[in-house]
Amino acid sequence: MIARLAIASLFARALTVGMTILAIALSVALYLGVEKIRTGAKASFADTISGTDLIVGARSGSVQLLLYSVFRIGNATNNVTWESYQDIAARPEVEWIVPISLGDSHRQFRVMGTTPAFFEHYRYRRGQNLLVEDGALIADLFDAVIGADVAETLGYAVGDPIVVAHGIASFTEHDDLPFRVAGVLEKTGTPVDRTVIVSIEAIEAIHVDWRRGARIPGQSTPEAVLRDMDLTPQAITAALVGVQSPLQTFALQRAINEYREEPLLAILPGVALQELWGIVGIAETALVAISAMVVLTALIGMMATLFSSLNERRREMAILRAVGAGPGTILGLLVTEAMLMAASGAVLGMAIVYAVLGVARAQIDSAFGLWLPIDPPTLQELWVVLAVLGAGGIVSLLPAIRAYRMSVADGMMVRS
Amino acid sequence: MRRALGIAVALAAGPALADETRQLDAHEHGVGTLNIAIEADSVAMEFTAPGADIVGFEYQAESDEDLAAIETAKTLLQAPLDLFTIPDAADCTIAEVDVELEGNAHHEEHDGHDHADHGHDDHDDAHDHDHTEAHEGHAEFHATYLLECENVTEVSQITFAYFDAFPNAREVEVQLISETGARAYEVTRAAPVLDLER
Repeated sequence: MIARLAIASLFARALTVGMTILAIALSVALYLGVEKIRTGAKASFADTISGTDLIVGARSGSVQLLLYSVFRIGNATNNVTWESYQDIAARPEVEWIVPISLGDSHRQFRVMGTTPAFFEHYRYRRGQNLLVEDGALIADLFDAVIGADVAETLGYAVGDPIVVAHGIASFTEHDDLPFRVAGVLEKTGTPVDRTVIVSIEAIEAIHVDWRRGARIPGQSTPEAVLRDMDLTPQAITAALVGVQSPLQTFALQRAINEYREEPLLAILPGVALQELWGIVGIAETALVAISAMVVLTALIGMMATLFSSLNERRREMAILRAVGAGPGTILGLLVTEAMLMAASGAVLGMAIVYAVLGVARAQIDSAFGLWLPIDPPTLQELWVVLAVLGAGGIVSLLPAIRAYRMSVADGMMVRS
Repeated sequence: MRRALGIAVALAAGPALADETRQLDAHEHGVGTLNIAIEADSVAMEFTAPGADIVGFEYQAESDEDLAAIETAKTLLQAPLDLFTIPDAADCTIAEVDVELEGNAHHEEHDGHDHADHGHDDHDDAHDHDHTEAHEGHAEFHATYLLECENVTEVSQITFAYFDAFPNAREVEVQLISETGARAYEVTRAAPVLDLER
């Protein structure tokens, strides 16, 4: 009875009610959207590296090492000498070790020098391997394997030449020694998508004629000579390490951290990620708090509309009372109306989130490298909807109680 | 000059050139670290805590009272399952225990950390000399444990009775490595139960 009356009454004031519902829907969509991006970003960060037990680099901060070695954000403070790298590689705890050499770029993408073992041992998203979508892995000194985003953005295909620039965002290019695209990797949703991968010897080779950051004028070692040279690198940027047994991880980490010949740092990727979340956490909380406030504002807006509607509905309430509705019915009617509005707002908000996700997912991915999954609503999201519903009921109580108290006396009086 | 170098090398007793590097580990009173690695049925733990947390002082113990305090602490540290309580369902037994007291001043000076293993009164002269440096530095307790557990999946939480045994300890930073990767936790006196979400 009350529900039917409430629905009919809402439809009678479709415009005002519609605006209120829209306000609630947008606020809920904002809240859920922020949550989706927050958890999506977290998951995509956490999925970037798996199966690597330790990351070794120059001694700096664990977050910094993680950021430059895995996420290609920022730069290394120092390099790791090849000698130290070999010392670590020779330790009995080490099952595999993959060197990484960063510092050059191609257009907006970083170039990474590494060994074929990288493709074997680098894992993402709970143990997935890197797969070649087109072409093959590095076979020749001047072969490059490119990530899916590099191929897509620059329109490269297997066999195309690539000229690597010296440094990042610099104008000097290693144009005398172009690379050839040997393979394109499948999309991973990790920074590998935005990386040009070459062999670590190739990084050394293109720098043979370079001293102190500039090319030696007039000197250009021909490719044939380079191929015969010893291209063992002097230094690397970082190394990914897998240990024989998890039980030895801490011992190896300590040995590297206390390595006396060179100040090195070994980090546990999972722990460094957590540290990173600790830093980002404050901003995250602020974001969630702000969007929660927006939901609250929309609900208070609804309360204001209810209050103002009481004036225009004085007569309606009085007639309801006159035909025999008790004050409790009036209260119930108003609360039901409010909860119906809140519920439709919340459901509509959720629908907006899914619609936006469906449309903009690809753009978000290509612009921010953030792949947001379209999953059925989580338990937490359902709780949000319930909370909005409950809060809607509570904020409507104030106008409802006012109507409850005044319905007869106020409505029967003829004003103006 | 050459002689001085010779002495330096002899003193270092480590890699000859290494004594050119000067480094000192971080050391925070009240905060211990516990590293846990789990593989198959084995649970390996490494525990480090400042001497201040365990016995209340970090100088070279000389009085009988201080030496006794160190011995008591070592005995306590030798029973890891009483300090870091694992649910009975896991059915863990201790396979290996090693407890040491290390000066934290300059590592190379006490490579053998023999002072910790020996009793109280067999400190010979040369030995005491070794530790002149450690006097000014910090002292740390190091313990390594290896547990064998029948039901390693039941190692789901660890209760730090450690805080009851050592009233000066405030916090333990925990790092855990298991099949699902590495995680870090912070266990404090106020919240002494660690839930391992694995």
